[in-house]
Amino acid sequence: MTHSSLIGDLIDLNSALKSDSSTDSDEKKQRDRAIGQALQQQRNSPARQLRGWLDQVSIGAWKRDGHHAVQLYHVLCVILVFAGLASGWGLARVVLYYTGNAPINIVNALGLLVLPQILLLLFWLLSTIPNRIPLLGSLQSALRFLNPGRLTRHLARLFPDRSRHSLSLVWDAEYATALAPAARWLFSFWSQLFSFCFNIGVLMAAFYMISFSDLAFAWSTTLNIDATTFHHMLSALSWPWHTLFPDAVPSPELVEISRYYRLEEASFGNAMVASRLAVKLSQWWPFLITAIICYGLVPRLLTLFISWLRFRHHLAHALSRLPGSPELLARMNSPLISTSAPQPESVAEIDAGTGYGPPETGSYALQCAVIDWSGTGVNSESAAKQLQAMGISCQDFLLAGGIRSTDQDNATIGSLCDLKPEGVAVIVKSWEPPLLEFLDFIQSIRAQCNRQQPIIILLWGGRDGVSALDRETWQLTLRQLKDPDLHIETMGSVR
Amino acid sequence: MTTPLFAIVGHPNKGKSSIVSTLAQDESVTISPIPGTTVDNRYYPMRVDGETLYALVDTPGFQRARAALEWMQKQPGSSVDRSNIVRMFVEEHHDDRRFAAECSLLTPILDGAGILYVIDGSRPFGEEYEAEMEILRWTGQPSLALINMIGDSDYSEEWNHALGQYFRIVRIFDAMTADFDRRIQLLLAFGQIREEWRESLEKAVRILKEEQQRRRKLSARTMAETISRMLTYTCQRRLSGDGASDAVRDSLQQAYQRELTSMEQECRNAVEQIYNHTHLERHEPLVQLLDEDLFATQTWLLFGLTQQQLITTGALGGAATGGVIDLAVGGASLFLGAGIGAMIGGVSAWVTTDRIADIKILGLPLGGKQLSIGPMRNINFPYVVLGRALYHHSVIEDRTHAHRDPLELNQQPAGLQTLDTGHRKQLEKIFVKLRRQETPSTDLVDTLAEQIQKLMELPVSGTTKTPA
Repeated sequence: MTHSSLIGDLIDLNSALKSDSSTDSDEKKQRDRAIGQALQQQRNSPARQLRGWLDQVSIGAWKRDGHHAVQLYHVLCVILVFAGLASGWGLARVVLYYTGNAPINIVNALGLLVLPQILLLLFWLLSTIPNRIPLLGSLQSALRFLNPGRLTRHLARLFPDRSRHSLSLVWDAEYATALAPAARWLFSFWSQLFSFCFNIGVLMAAFYMISFSDLAFAWSTTLNIDATTFHHMLSALSWPWHTLFPDAVPSPELVEISRYYRLEEASFGNAMVASRLAVKLSQWWPFLITAIICYGLVPRLLTLFISWLRFRHHLAHALSRLPGSPELLARMNSPLISTSAPQPESVAEIDAGTGYGPPETGSYALQCAVIDWSGTGVNSESAAKQLQAMGISCQDFLLAGGIRSTDQDNATIGSLCDLKPEGVAVIVKSWEPPLLEFLDFIQSIRAQCNRQQPIIILLWGGRDGVSALDRETWQLTLRQLKDPDLHIETMGSVR
Repeated sequence: MTTPLFAIVGHPNKGKSSIVSTLAQDESVTISPIPGTTVDNRYYPMRVDGETLYALVDTPGFQRARAALEWMQKQPGSSVDRSNIVRMFVEEHHDDRRFAAECSLLTPILDGAGILYVIDGSRPFGEEYEAEMEILRWTGQPSLALINMIGDSDYSEEWNHALGQYFRIVRIFDAMTADFDRRIQLLLAFGQIREEWRESLEKAVRILKEEQQRRRKLSARTMAETISRMLTYTCQRRLSGDGASDAVRDSLQQAYQRELTSMEQECRNAVEQIYNHTHLERHEPLVQLLDEDLFATQTWLLFGLTQQQLITTGALGGAATGGVIDLAVGGASLFLGAGIGAMIGGVSAWVTTDRIADIKILGLPLGGKQLSIGPMRNINFPYVVLGRALYHHSVIEDRTHAHRDPLELNQQPAGLQTLDTGHRKQLEKIFVKLRRQETPSTDLVDTLAEQIQKLMELPVSGTTKTPA
C-alpha cells in the first residue's frame, strides 16, 4: 500500500461519499453492510476496510478522480526531484569552483553546504515536536508557514483544474479537521524530498569535480580563530564519523598548513613544497563529502522517511475522518437492522363526499324514532330534552348494536317501519368510529322503511364531550354513504 | 423454533398503526383518524443481517365482529373445535367483501401469530368490544392486551377489569410518548406470551440496545464536530477603505449568524437521520450570538501570512543573525546576540506590518485591512450550543415514529447549569483548547464526542436517562 495510492483512495472516497449522500438511506445500509461483511477480516483496520469498500462499491453519479490527483502528485514529486538535483548541482559547482589560482575556502564550503542544513534541520525538528510549550505553537506555525514544501501548492496551480482540484483536497480548509495533519506532513515530505535531492545534487557535483579536476582547499576566516581552535571545531564536526572514517577527519597538520597565509608563505619559498602542499590540500575532500553526507544527505533521508511515514499514517487516519466516513464504517460494521415494512402500504381511498349542514330552518321540527346505538349509556329523559331543543320530539326510544344480535337489530328496524316516524335519530358514541356494521344498519333503515325522511346521527360525547376530531371522523365516514338526507348533530358539550 | 409473529388487532382507530409505527420505527405507516384506512395486513419483520427475529403484522380493525361471531356460534362443535370454526369462517368468507377485514386480521393469527389486542384507554369501555374479544379467544392463540393511552382521560381501570376476563397479560403503553426503555419492556413482554419466543425477543432487545448505543455514539460525534466548527468559525471581509461601515458590519454579522445556524441545522438533520426520522418538520429558535462585539479589524498580507507569523518570522530571522555574531565571538556574548536579534526582528515586524500592507507592487497591494467576525469567545456559547444539541437529541431519541406533528424545540432547555463540577471541568478544558485552535484537531473532536456521549446518559431538562 503506497501513500500515492492512499491519496487517490482518499480523493475517491471523498467524492464517493459526496455522490452517495443522495442515495436512499436503506439502500446504503444494505449495500454497505454486505460489503462490510465481505471485509469482516479488516474490521480492525478502518483504512483498509474503507479502501476495500471503494473497490467494491458502485455509485451512479460517482466519478473517480483519484488517479488524476495521483498523477499530479507524481509529477510534482518529479519536479521537486529535478529541482533539488539541479539546485544542489548548481550550488556545489559555484562553491567548489576552482581555477587553480586560489584554493577553495573550506569555511565557505561548510558555511554554504553544511551549516544551513544543520540550521534547517533544527527548524524542521522544532516544527515537528509536539506543541506543549507556550509560544512554541506560534513559532511552529511560522516555521510551517515558511516550509518551502508549501510552495508546491502554488506549483500545482499550473496544472489542469481536474488534477489540481482533486489533489487540493489534502490542504483544503473545509477538510482541515480531518486532513490538516496529513497536509502538514505532505509539505514536510515535499520539502525533505527536495532537500534530499539537493544533497544528492551537491554530492554528484562534488564527485564530478573531484574526479575531473584537482581541487585544492584552504581555510580562511575573518573570525579570530587560530589553527588549533579551528581544528577543534572541525574535530567536533567530524565526531560522528571519526571512528568509522578516520581519514575523513582533518589532521592538525592539514589544518595548520591549509591556512591561506601559510600557503602563500610556502609557495613563495619552494616549488617542491608548493607541489607537495597542493597534494595535501586536496585531502580536504573526504571531510567535506562526509560532512555533506552526515549533516545533509543522511538526516534528510531520515526526515524524508519520517515525513513519508507520518504522511502515510495521517492519510490513512484521515480516510476514516472524512465527512461521512464514520457513518459508513458504522453501516459496514453494525448488523443491518430492519424493522420497517418491506412492502409499501395499500391505503383505502377516502372519498371527500359532501358536507352535512344543519336544517335550513335552523330546527328539524320532526317527530322521530330515537335509537340508542351500541349502549351509549345516555339517559333517555335527558336525551329527549336535548332533542327537543333541536326540534326533534321523541316518538319512541329503541336499542340496537352493541351486545344485541344482528337479528335483534333487524327486529328494531321492523319496529321502526311500523312506527312510520317523520325521521330517525340515532344516538352514537362519538369516540367510537362508525364501523361498517353501523353503516349497514343505516342503509337497512333507509332501504326498508325510511326512503326519503331525514336520518339524524346524534354524536354523544359522554363525560368528555364531543371532540372536533371525532366529529370530523364521523362526518368523513358517513359521507361515504352519499345520503343527502343524512344529518350529523352533536349532543351535549363540544370540546 | 418458529419466528415470533404478532398480529396487532383491535377496533378501528385505537392506535394499532401507531403502535406498529413506534415499534417498527417506521414513519411510513399511515395513521389516520378515518376508520378503515388500513385495508390489508402489513408485515413489519425485525431483520438482523437477514435473520428475522420477530415480525409484527398491522391488521385492519374489526368491522362486522358481531355478524362474524354469530356465524361462528351457529356452527356445530364443542369448545375444543373453536379455532377450527374460526378457520372455517376465514376459508368460507375469504372472498366475501363484507368480512374482508375479519378474514384479513384472523389469517395471521390462524397461522400462529400471537395476538396483541389494542384498545384506547382514554375512552370508556363499550359492549361492542365483546364480540371481537370473544372471536380472538376462539382462535386459541396466546394473547396480550395493550391499553394505548391516546387522549388525556384515563379509563384504564375499567379496561383492565374488562380485558382481564379475556387476556392473561394486560399492559399500558402510550405509542406516542413511549421512550426507548418502554419499547424494550414491551418487546420483552411479548416474550411472556409464549415461552419459545422469549429467546428470539431477548436477542432482538440486545441488538436494539447495541444499536441505540451506536446511534448515540454517531450523534455525539456529529454534535462534537458541529460544536468544534461553530466555536472556531470566523468570517472575514476585506475592506476597501480604512474603516468598516455599519452596513458592512451588519452584513458580515448576518453572514456569520447564517453560517452558524446552517451548521446547527445540518447537525440536527444528521441526528434525525441517525434515528430514522427523515421527514421531520422542526421549529427551533435561532442560536443567539452571546458576544456583543465579535468584530475585529486586522491586517491581511499577501500569501496569507498573519501578523503573528510575520512577527515570529522576524524574530527568528533576527535571532539567526544575532546567532552568527554570538558564533563570531565564540559564545562570549552569552547568546545576547541571538536574544537582541530576535527582539529587534520581532519588534520591526510588528511595527512594519501595516506599512508592508500599504506597499503596492505593479499596482497590487501586498496587504490591506479586513474586518473579521468570530470566533465566538463567550465562555457560555459552547454550553448553550451543546445544551441545545443535547436537548434536541434527547427529544429525537424519545420521539416515536407514530408522532407526525412538527418537532417543537421552542422550550429551551435549562442547559447544562446542573452539570456537576467534574463534567464541567472536562468540558471547559476541551472548549479552552478549541478556542485556541484555528482548525479543530480530530483528537479534540474525539474527546469532546466522548464527553457528549457521557452527557447523553445524564438528565436533560429534568428528564432522567438511563444508559441504553
